[in-house]
Amino acid sequence: MFSFTKEQKVFDISGIKIGGQPGVFPTVLIGGLFFKGEPDFNSAEEQIKNMLNLSKKLANPSITDFFIRKEEFIENILDFIVKKYPKNHPISIDIIEPDLKIKTLEILDEKKLLSRTIYNSIHVGITPEEQDALKNHTPNAAIIVAFNPKDKSPDGKIEILQNGANLIDTGLLELTNKIGIRNVLIDTAAMAPGDYSGAAIASIPVIKEEFGFPTGCAIHNVVEKSKWLDDFKSARKPVDASSNANIPLFGGDFAIFGPIHNSDIVFPIITWQDILISEYVENYFGVLPDDFHPRRKLI
Amino acid sequence: MEKIKTTVVGSYPVDIEILNHVKGYFNQKVVTWDKYIESAVKDMIDSGLDIVSDGQTRDPFVNIFTRKLKGCRLRDRTEIIGKIEYSGPITIDDQKYVKKIIPKNKKLIGLLTGPYTLTNSCVDLFYKDEKEIAFDFATALKQEAKLLEKYVDIISIDEPFFSMGIPEYGKELISIITKDISCPTRLHVCGDISNVVADILEMPVEILSHEFKASPKIFDSFEQYNIKKNICLGSVRSDKLFVEPVEDIIDHIRKGIEIFGDKITQLAPDCGQRMLPRAVAFEKLKNLVKAGEIIYG
Repeated sequence: MFSFTKEQKVFDISGIKIGGQPGVFPTVLIGGLFFKGEPDFNSAEEQIKNMLNLSKKLANPSITDFFIRKEEFIENILDFIVKKYPKNHPISIDIIEPDLKIKTLEILDEKKLLSRTIYNSIHVGITPEEQDALKNHTPNAAIIVAFNPKDKSPDGKIEILQNGANLIDTGLLELTNKIGIRNVLIDTAAMAPGDYSGAAIASIPVIKEEFGFPTGCAIHNVVEKSKWLDDFKSARKPVDASSNANIPLFGGDFAIFGPIHNSDIVFPIITWQDILISEYVENYFGVLPDDFHPRRKLI
Repeated sequence: MEKIKTTVVGSYPVDIEILNHVKGYFNQKVVTWDKYIESAVKDMIDSGLDIVSDGQTRDPFVNIFTRKLKGCRLRDRTEIIGKIEYSGPITIDDQKYVKKIIPKNKKLIGLLTGPYTLTNSCVDLFYKDEKEIAFDFATALKQEAKLLEKYVDIISIDEPFFSMGIPEYGKELISIITKDISCPTRLHVCGDISNVVADILEMPVEILSHEFKASPKIFDSFEQYNIKKNICLGSVRSDKLFVEPVEDIIDHIRKGIEIFGDKITQLAPDCGQRMLPRAVAFEKLKNLVKAGEIIYG
């Protein structure tokens, strides 16, 4: 169990509180949509509704991570958000290609969605054009991915945040601050199995103690790439879902848990874990849970 | 006159394709560093150098070592947070890779950043004793040197901090590394070394390497001594974009021959070329090689 000596930042992102000392605020669960193929909006609507219901029942806040892979999907996905996603609820916009990111920022601005957008993500591959686009169309929050191609250890992740590891001129924290984004979430960059994958979890308390920003990761990616699990087909989904329990256990604030259709299994696991942590940190550190913590609601 | 060898001090510029690494991360695919090493080595070979390095493409010369030594952690400057110890090969994999890709007639230089320079480049949060840090760095580097000697033809120790003064234990530090090393060893000290030449001449290495092009006054400092060690003559600047013409380099080498005679065994840039644009670094190496060929055949 952790209690950090560094003051922990808490951000209110469009009504969802994230960050702070372990045991105060519940883990924010970020479930993804549209990873493959054409976006299926009917199914998406159902999945989002289900995730929001789970949030209501269990008190763990949820955010949908909308993956945008092609330019032709931008308008449709953002229109879907405007029409079908709860008003004012935060959204995470997840794009890899820099050109697509720039285009999407413009349209997010046109559709007045930036005030509830979490930009997923800023990383060491950010281009000058992307930085300009972010200055012109600044989202509410950004996830910074602490991926350091030179060093995948916790220190390597700190290095990329602090000084850019001699790959870019400044650290990603300063760069994001200069862009004008203040609500920063740090993703500790889960690597493939055998490639320092455990460092994503080990880095959570190290980064929170160093910088105090809300921190989490997509640890389920490691499970997804664990080929040996192919021999245990029925275990794959429980292992994937339960891997997320490592995040709050190591003091983390959010879990990017993969496909939104895993919500039914991920939410109870994390709720249970959050209650356990809350009980312990109150007994040991005197840290009380927030009024809307699952422990208040369920115990 | 015996043909002398053209070589480098260490680092070489490299263009890292960062986005490629990031995409590899998002797709959970490992992207190796080999292509950067290969591009540096290819330039060195294409320029005609006799002895190439791995280009020190991964990091600045201090971080390469402190990233992997126990007791160090990288922050804005490396912090020493525990006892410094060797925790496994640092540059060996890259050297093995270079050995595999270079032609048989090319030689390979192994590079170590010196213990005194590492000591002075770090923030000490543990020892409170500079000498103890330096000796622990030297002991750790010795283990790397023992592995390096199996793969390289020469080992160079880079100690720029010696130019600002050599501690009374400086010779002992270097000897920890070079003692019982089977290949030739070189000490590179860049900057103005006028005040420390006497101490440098006592160092337990075969070759001394200095920044003669940027600091020609150090020729005068050496002139008063009977030079017994071999010399690696820094002959093109590493801090200027201007590419020295071949004739200019020839004049410089002739000046060196006046002072050192046949003790010059290597020609190199003044220092690592990491900060230069790649095209400039390459042209400088090509002109260095041409000048060497004109003088030494």
